[in-house]
Amino acid sequence: MASVAARYKELQDLGVEVLSCSVDSQFTHKIWQEVELSKMVDGGVPFPMLSDTGGNIGTLYGVYDEEGGVNIRGRFIIDPDGIIQAMEVLSPPVGRNFAELVRQVQAFQHVRKTGEPTPAGWQPGKKTLKPGPELVGKVWETWKIGD
Amino acid sequence: MSVKVGQKAPDFEANAYVDGGFKKVKLADYKDKWVVVCFYPGDFTFV
Repeated sequence: MASVAARYKELQDLGVEVLSCSVDSQFTHKIWQEVELSKMVDGGVPFPMLSDTGGNIGTLYGVYDEEGGVNIRGRFIIDPDGIIQAMEVLSPPVGRNFAELVRQVQAFQHVRKTGEPTPAGWQPGKKTLKPGPELVGKVWETWKIGD
Repeated sequence: MSVKVGQKAPDFEANAYVDGGFKKVKLADYKDKWVVVCFYPGDFTFV
């Protein structure tokens, strides 16, 4: 969570709100913030830290591990219509890649604004594709891996 | 029950710690905004 908090401004600049969620109580979140997170990130975690005791929210999203009694590392990008556009689920020992989260948000925002699909590894400013009959079988002419 | 991309995100309400205080947070409060929801195993874990 600290890594997301540290670069939260990048998401805010994109108009993105963050909610973190674990089975801990809001009181535990408070103590974690005070004794640790605030020492890792200036000002601590700036977004709401949700308490999902019982794993009800995690169950709704398919990330609650009943055996361990915890939510596994699931990350969902939800658009302004409330539609899930992306989901990534990692098992507990591996942390997330914040840069990839930002890239995906930028790509989904681009698609929403322009309707243009973004090819693999797309970054803002890079080439997009214009789907249509004339593109069928011709992607290789207009887009190269790494473009 | 499980979720899929392209489908509506299930609404939820939870107690939250935010800005030094406690409040209820609903996904529906964030209508018309981009939202990232991050689940993680627990406070005080290392990753």
